[in-house]
Amino acid sequence: MARSVWKGPFVDGYLLNKAEASRASGRNEIIKIWSRRSTILPQFVGLTFGVYNGHKFLPVQVNENMVGHKFGEFSPTRTFTGHSSDKKAKRG
Amino acid sequence: MARIAGVNIPTNKRVTIGLRYIYGIGPSKAQSICTQLGIPDERRVNELSDDEVLKIRELIDREYQVEGDLRREVAMNIKRLMDLACYRGLRHRRGLPVRGQRTHTNARTRKGKAVAIAGKKKVTK
Repeated sequence: MARSVWKGPFVDGYLLNKAEASRASGRNEIIKIWSRRSTILPQFVGLTFGVYNGHKFLPVQVNENMVGHKFGEFSPTRTFTGHSSDKKAKRG
Repeated sequence: MARIAGVNIPTNKRVTIGLRYIYGIGPSKAQSICTQLGIPDERRVNELSDDEVLKIRELIDREYQVEGDLRREVAMNIKRLMDLACYRGLRHRRGLPVRGQRTHTNARTRKGKAVAIAGKKKVTK
Protein backbone atom coordinates (compact mmCIF):
# COMPACT_ATOMS: atom_id res chain seq x y z
CA MET A 1 0.00 0.00 0.00
CA ALA A 2 1.24 3.46 -0.83
CA ARG A 3 2.32 5.86 1.87
CA SER A 4 -0.18 8.49 3.01
CA VAL A 5 0.38 11.83 1.34
CA TRP A 6 -0.19 13.85 4.51
CA LYS A 7 2.93 12.34 6.05
CA GLY A 8 5.11 13.72 3.29
CA PRO A 9 8.08 11.88 1.82
CA PHE A 10 10.18 9.82 4.18
CA VAL A 11 13.77 10.98 4.59
CA ASP A 12 16.26 10.31 7.34
CA GLY A 13 16.81 13.75 8.85
CA TYR A 14 20.59 13.71 8.89
CA LEU A 15 20.66 13.45 5.11
CA LEU A 16 19.29 16.96 4.85
CA ASN A 17 22.12 18.25 7.04
CA LYS A 18 24.71 16.31 5.06
CA ALA A 19 23.38 17.58 1.75
CA GLU A 20 23.31 21.13 2.99
CA ALA A 21 26.84 20.89 4.38
CA SER A 22 28.06 19.51 1.07
CA ARG A 23 26.39 22.32 -0.83
CA ALA A 24 27.88 24.91 1.51
CA SER A 25 31.39 23.46 1.16
CA GLY A 26 31.11 23.79 -2.62
CA ARG A 27 33.16 20.73 -3.40
CA ASN A 28 31.32 18.02 -5.24
CA GLU A 29 32.27 15.24 -2.90
CA ILE A 30 30.60 11.88 -2.66
CA ILE A 31 28.33 11.88 0.35
CA LYS A 32 28.43 8.44 1.89
CA ILE A 33 25.05 7.30 3.11
CA TRP A 34 23.62 4.11 4.49
CA SER A 35 20.06 5.28 4.38
CA ARG A 36 18.81 3.38 1.36
CA ARG A 37 15.24 3.83 2.55
CA SER A 38 15.21 7.60 2.16
CA THR A 39 13.30 9.27 -0.64
CA ILE A 40 15.29 11.39 -3.06
CA LEU A 41 14.14 14.98 -2.62
CA PRO A 42 14.38 17.84 -5.14
CA GLN A 43 17.07 19.52 -3.04
CA PHE A 44 19.39 16.53 -3.59
CA VAL A 45 19.47 17.05 -7.37
CA GLY A 46 22.99 17.55 -8.69
CA LEU A 47 24.75 16.04 -5.69
CA THR A 48 26.56 12.74 -5.77
CA PHE A 49 25.84 10.19 -3.10
CA GLY A 50 27.64 7.01 -2.26
CA VAL A 51 24.84 4.62 -1.50
CA TYR A 52 25.90 1.62 0.55
CA ASN A 53 24.84 -1.74 -0.84
CA GLY A 54 26.17 -3.85 2.02
CA HIS A 55 29.55 -4.10 0.36
CA LYS A 56 30.65 -0.75 -0.94
CA PHE A 57 29.38 2.75 -1.64
CA LEU A 58 28.08 2.98 -5.18
CA PRO A 59 28.21 6.52 -6.56
CA VAL A 60 24.79 7.82 -7.55
CA GLN A 61 24.57 11.12 -9.37
CA VAL A 62 21.12 12.46 -8.63
CA ASN A 63 19.20 13.99 -11.49
CA GLU A 64 15.68 15.36 -11.53
CA ASN A 65 14.17 12.16 -12.92
CA MET A 66 15.22 10.32 -9.77
CA VAL A 67 13.18 12.52 -7.47
CA GLY A 68 10.59 10.44 -5.69
CA HIS A 69 12.54 7.21 -5.89
CA LYS A 70 14.48 5.78 -2.96
CA PHE A 71 18.26 5.76 -2.76
CA GLY A 72 18.33 1.99 -2.46
CA GLU A 73 16.83 1.57 -5.91
CA PHE A 74 20.06 2.82 -7.46
CA SER A 75 22.43 0.57 -5.58
CA PRO A 76 21.76 -3.11 -6.31
CA THR A 77 22.55 -5.43 -3.43
CA ARG A 78 22.78 -8.66 -5.38
CA THR A 79 25.14 -9.77 -8.08
CA PHE A 80 23.84 -12.41 -10.43
CA THR A 81 25.95 -12.96 -13.51
CA GLY A 82 24.04 -15.91 -14.89
CA HIS A 83 24.33 -19.66 -14.74
CA SER A 84 27.46 -21.42 -15.97
CA SER A 85 25.61 -23.24 -18.72
CA ASP A 86 23.70 -20.16 -19.74
CA LYS A 87 25.79 -18.90 -22.64
CA LYS A 88 23.58 -16.11 -23.80
CA ALA A 89 23.16 -14.60 -20.35
CA LYS A 90 23.21 -10.84 -20.66
CA ARG A 91 24.52 -8.39 -18.13
CA GLY A 92 22.04 -5.63 -17.23
CA MET B 1 -20.12 -1.36 -38.24
CA ALA B 2 -18.68 1.43 -36.14
CA ARG B 3 -15.22 2.83 -36.08
CA ILE B 4 -14.37 4.42 -32.76
CA ALA B 5 -10.93 5.68 -31.75
CA GLY B 6 -9.10 4.64 -34.90
CA VAL B 7 -9.26 1.12 -36.14
CA ASN B 8 -11.62 -0.52 -33.70
CA ILE B 9 -14.67 -2.12 -35.17
CA PRO B 10 -16.61 -3.82 -32.40
CA THR B 11 -19.21 -6.24 -33.67
CA ASN B 12 -22.85 -6.80 -32.93
CA LYS B 13 -22.24 -7.08 -29.22
CA ARG B 14 -23.65 -4.88 -26.51
CA VAL B 15 -22.10 -1.43 -26.41
CA THR B 16 -20.59 -1.93 -22.96
CA ILE B 17 -18.84 -5.06 -24.23
CA GLY B 18 -17.91 -3.77 -27.67
CA LEU B 19 -16.17 -0.68 -26.32
CA ARG B 20 -13.75 -2.88 -24.43
CA TYR B 21 -12.16 -3.86 -27.73
CA ILE B 22 -10.50 -0.46 -27.60
CA TYR B 23 -7.10 -0.59 -25.90
CA GLY B 24 -7.43 1.45 -22.72
CA ILE B 25 -11.14 0.94 -22.16
CA GLY B 26 -12.19 -1.79 -19.79
CA PRO B 27 -15.40 -2.73 -18.03
CA SER B 28 -15.68 0.31 -15.80
CA LYS B 29 -14.82 2.95 -18.41
CA ALA B 30 -17.15 1.31 -20.94
CA GLN B 31 -19.92 1.37 -18.34
CA SER B 32 -19.31 5.00 -17.44
CA ILE B 33 -19.32 6.06 -21.11
CA CYS B 34 -22.72 4.45 -21.56
CA THR B 35 -24.23 6.02 -18.46
CA GLN B 36 -22.82 9.45 -19.33
CA LEU B 37 -24.43 9.31 -22.78
CA GLY B 38 -27.61 7.63 -21.55
CA ILE B 39 -27.20 4.56 -23.72
CA PRO B 40 -29.11 1.62 -22.24
CA ASP B 41 -27.16 -1.52 -21.35
CA GLU B 42 -28.92 -3.80 -23.78
CA ARG B 43 -28.26 -1.62 -26.84
CA ARG B 44 -26.10 -3.36 -29.41
CA VAL B 45 -23.34 -1.64 -31.36
CA ASN B 46 -25.09 -2.09 -34.70
CA GLU B 47 -28.25 -0.51 -33.24
CA LEU B 48 -26.43 2.72 -32.42
CA SER B 49 -27.45 5.78 -34.38
CA ASP B 50 -24.78 7.77 -36.18
CA ASP B 51 -25.32 10.56 -33.68
CA GLU B 52 -24.62 8.27 -30.75
CA VAL B 53 -21.50 6.89 -32.39
CA LEU B 54 -20.31 10.44 -32.88
CA LYS B 55 -20.99 11.27 -29.25
CA ILE B 56 -19.06 8.22 -28.06
CA ARG B 57 -16.17 9.14 -30.31
CA GLU B 58 -16.08 12.68 -28.98
CA LEU B 59 -16.33 11.59 -25.37
CA ILE B 60 -13.43 9.15 -25.74
CA ASP B 61 -11.36 11.75 -27.57
CA ARG B 62 -11.99 14.26 -24.82
CA GLU B 63 -11.75 12.24 -21.63
CA TYR B 64 -9.63 9.16 -22.13
CA GLN B 65 -6.26 8.21 -23.45
CA VAL B 66 -6.59 5.17 -25.69
CA GLU B 67 -4.77 3.06 -28.25
CA GLY B 68 -1.54 4.53 -29.65
CA ASP B 69 -1.25 7.40 -27.18
CA LEU B 70 -1.73 5.10 -24.23
CA ARG B 71 0.66 2.48 -25.59
CA ARG B 72 3.24 5.20 -26.14
CA GLU B 73 2.83 6.50 -22.61
CA VAL B 74 3.27 3.03 -21.12
CA ALA B 75 6.35 2.42 -23.25
CA MET B 76 7.76 5.81 -22.23
CA ASN B 77 7.25 5.05 -18.55
CA ILE B 78 9.13 1.78 -18.89
CA LYS B 79 11.86 3.46 -20.91
CA ARG B 80 12.25 6.12 -18.23
CA LEU B 81 12.81 3.43 -15.60
CA MET B 82 15.32 1.65 -17.81
CA ASP B 83 17.31 4.81 -18.53
CA LEU B 84 17.33 5.72 -14.86
CA ALA B 85 19.22 2.53 -13.94
CA CYS B 86 17.05 2.00 -10.90
CA TYR B 87 16.12 -1.45 -9.67
CA ARG B 88 12.81 -1.57 -11.50
CA GLY B 89 14.55 -0.50 -14.70
CA LEU B 90 17.10 -3.29 -14.36
CA ARG B 91 14.33 -5.83 -13.94
CA HIS B 92 12.63 -4.55 -17.07
CA ARG B 93 15.89 -4.86 -18.98
CA ARG B 94 16.40 -8.41 -17.86
CA GLY B 95 12.81 -9.37 -18.55
CA LEU B 96 12.22 -10.49 -14.97
CA PRO B 97 9.36 -9.68 -12.58
CA VAL B 98 9.54 -6.08 -11.43
CA ARG B 99 7.53 -6.10 -8.24
CA GLY B 100 9.43 -8.49 -6.04
CA GLN B 101 7.80 -11.76 -7.05
CA ARG B 102 9.71 -14.99 -6.72
CA THR B 103 11.71 -16.25 -9.66
CA HIS B 104 12.87 -19.58 -8.23
CA THR B 105 9.76 -21.04 -9.78
CA ASN B 106 6.98 -19.52 -11.85
CA ALA B 107 7.37 -16.00 -13.31
CA ARG B 108 6.77 -17.60 -16.69
CA THR B 109 4.83 -14.64 -18.03
CA ARG B 110 7.90 -12.42 -17.80
CA LYS B 111 10.55 -15.03 -18.51
CA GLY B 112 8.81 -16.64 -21.45
CA LYS B 113 8.49 -20.31 -22.09
CA ALA B 114 10.65 -22.61 -20.00
CA VAL B 115 13.95 -23.61 -21.59
CA ALA B 116 15.44 -27.01 -20.77
CA ILE B 117 18.84 -26.87 -19.10
CA ALA B 118 21.43 -28.85 -21.07
CA GLY B 119 23.13 -31.64 -19.19
CA LYS B 120 20.84 -31.58 -16.18
CA LYS B 121 20.30 -35.04 -14.73
CA LYS B 122 16.74 -36.30 -14.58
CA VAL B 123 15.67 -37.66 -11.22
CA THR B 124 15.19 -41.43 -11.54
CA LYS B 125 13.35 -43.57 -9.09
